[in-house]
Amino acid sequence: MTKQLTPEEIVKSFKDEFKTKIKDTRIEKHIAGTKKNELIHIWMNVDRSVFKNVVKHLMTLEEYPHLAVTSGYDMGKTIKLVYHFSIYFGVRYREISLNITVELPKPNPTIETITDLIPGALITEQEKQEMLGIKVKGIPKDKRVFISDDFPKGIYPWRRDEAGPEKMIRNLHEVKK
Amino acid sequence: MAKGLSKSFKKALWVYHCNTGSCNGCDIEIIAALCPRYDVERFGIKLVGSPRHADALLITGPVTRQMEKKVKRIYEQMPDPKAVICVGNCGNTGDVFYESYNLVGPIDNIIPVDVHVIGCPPRPEAIINAVAKAWVKLETLEAK
Amino acid sequence: MNPEATTKTTYRLPIGPIHPALKEPVAFEFEIDGERIVDVDVSLGHIHRSIEWAGMRRNPIQNLYLAERICGICSYCHPMAFALAVERAAGIEVPERADYLRVIQAELERICSHLLWAGVAAHEIGFDSVLFLTWQIREKALDLTEYLTGNRVTKAITMIGGVRRDITKDMHPMIHETMNYFKDNFEKLRHVYLDDKTFKMRSQGVGILTKEDALKLCACGPTTRASGIKKDVRLDQPYFAFGDLDFDYVTPDVLTGEVNGDVYDRIIVRLLEVKQSIELIEQCLDQMPKGDIVSEPKIAKLLATLKKAKGEGIGRMEAPRGEVFHYVKLDGNEYPYCWKVRAPTYSNILPWMPMLRGEQIADIPIVAASTDPCMSCTNRVAIVDTDKKYELNKEELHRLSVEKTRRLMK
Repeated sequence: MTKQLTPEEIVKSFKDEFKTKIKDTRIEKHIAGTKKNELIHIWMNVDRSVFKNVVKHLMTLEEYPHLAVTSGYDMGKTIKLVYHFSIYFGVRYREISLNITVELPKPNPTIETITDLIPGALITEQEKQEMLGIKVKGIPKDKRVFISDDFPKGIYPWRRDEAGPEKMIRNLHEVKK
Repeated sequence: MAKGLSKSFKKALWVYHCNTGSCNGCDIEIIAALCPRYDVERFGIKLVGSPRHADALLITGPVTRQMEKKVKRIYEQMPDPKAVICVGNCGNTGDVFYESYNLVGPIDNIIPVDVHVIGCPPRPEAIINAVAKAWVKLETLEAK
Repeated sequence: MNPEATTKTTYRLPIGPIHPALKEPVAFEFEIDGERIVDVDVSLGHIHRSIEWAGMRRNPIQNLYLAERICGICSYCHPMAFALAVERAAGIEVPERADYLRVIQAELERICSHLLWAGVAAHEIGFDSVLFLTWQIREKALDLTEYLTGNRVTKAITMIGGVRRDITKDMHPMIHETMNYFKDNFEKLRHVYLDDKTFKMRSQGVGILTKEDALKLCACGPTTRASGIKKDVRLDQPYFAFGDLDFDYVTPDVLTGEVNGDVYDRIIVRLLEVKQSIELIEQCLDQMPKGDIVSEPKIAKLLATLKKAKGEGIGRMEAPRGEVFHYVKLDGNEYPYCWKVRAPTYSNILPWMPMLRGEQIADIPIVAASTDPCMSCTNRVAIVDTDKKYELNKEELHRLSVEKTRRLMK
């Protein structure tokens, strides 16, 4: 097991490596139970160009980081993706959650795949492609995951602009007159 | 048992179950109805593996786009006389899923329904009651 | 393998979490060589009900009830993880008594779910009487759930900031009675599942998931613990009151001394977890502190606080099947800006590929069922494995599985 760093040391190691490309870092400590044990969540905002190197750097801290899922939302002019990792599992009270946000401009929403580093990321990357309309470069299997193939192309359910699903919404309580 | 059910059943009622996108809550209660606590098998009701052998169809879930064709096909494969029992609030009105881009509406938009069972999920007793009502309907249909 | 020389096989295999009559179509396409599977491919998609999209149009308290209906079997974990995420995003503190009450409900759900799974696994192997035995024991757990919360399946006991119902001293005798019932019957279950020769023949050496594969594919829950990896959110990042309780990771070497990562190990892990849950519930009843059960009992005031809250939060919980993950972003409006749900089966589908390679067709039901897939949580998965194309439906696969058992019993 590699040496376990404190959350401040983890943030410092990322900042030393990537300098200005890491922004808005914060460390949250929540407590639980009567013994008030701490849960640590680290958030950071990462530039798209160094994203894959950030993941590689993460793998030096923990050989097999656990990727839970990636969330994504439409911010108007950009699309934000949040990758939820967690490291240091296996010893009680020690796990730290690391949430990495990447912002993609809407005219060119592309990002590199991390399935060559973490094969378990396949399904979540496919889901983001079909729900938000982003393009993941180098994804091994480019196909739809949750939406059926007869759903119109170009409509992305989580978008809040004209590419959203407004036309496809149906209200089940409607009564035909 | 429901009124109108004759003392000697002409044949055992075979039931086919179809899940069109439900959360499995109703499906668990259907299986619980088979288990020794509620035990519908003593009435001869059993779950079969193919719609061609079934008399009644137990259907759950708000119908998703992908399942619409399959539901219609299952309904067509069942031989007459048949009864359709819609279990759970999702299939009846949509319940919490009343607005969505991937659902095509309550089940009676797609196939005709004979018995509605409400509840989220309905208790096994309610499901057995519904199957008994469907049985009465089938027996009256056959008598014609 | 020459792609033009072989033909494609598509198996339509519905794998429901329960009885095979449950139609949750999972389309499998297998590449087979005789009876053995050479390659497996995965694809998803039929129970997509656009829940995350609907969540962006409802306030957090309405979303609790929507989250409950993501899955009927894990109907406690999803609203709880959502509540955890919202509490952390909005900075709401939960009273200590509520933490302990939440633990009791979570462990009770774990017992119900593992017993349900045990019945399904037995059915897939071909022993229907074991299905009925296990579900009869499970009925006692459902009776207790109904006594404590009011309903058997969808409990609606979560509230942001605590729980909705208390467990008072006069309820304790019923809980102790049910726990004693489980302890008495545990030995019977253990004997049926772990000592029976046919169970062993069908499950040992089948569906092996190596430690490295499980780590790379980010598997979670009993699937990964059965491969020897210590990953359990209750111990790694303790939430609720788990940080105060005394328990440890459950891996198969606790019972047998070795780890193989096959179906038999997964049965061991789940049965041991049932025992662990009984002990945890009893510890909680002994140590429960006094106090409020919810931080803000008036819902209108709670909603007003949530409307002004800004922030993002994550909620992770150890559901019976693995890690449930919710991410919520609030930005000062009535409706959350983003809500992401990730059910445990989402991560446990990719491991099907290495598990099914090299296995016989008749083993597909038991291997897939051993990961305890809950399709409605995941929105369905289809495994596509290319080669000869012909249709085999669930009933046929189940029949093949049962026939193999009969052959082995001779």
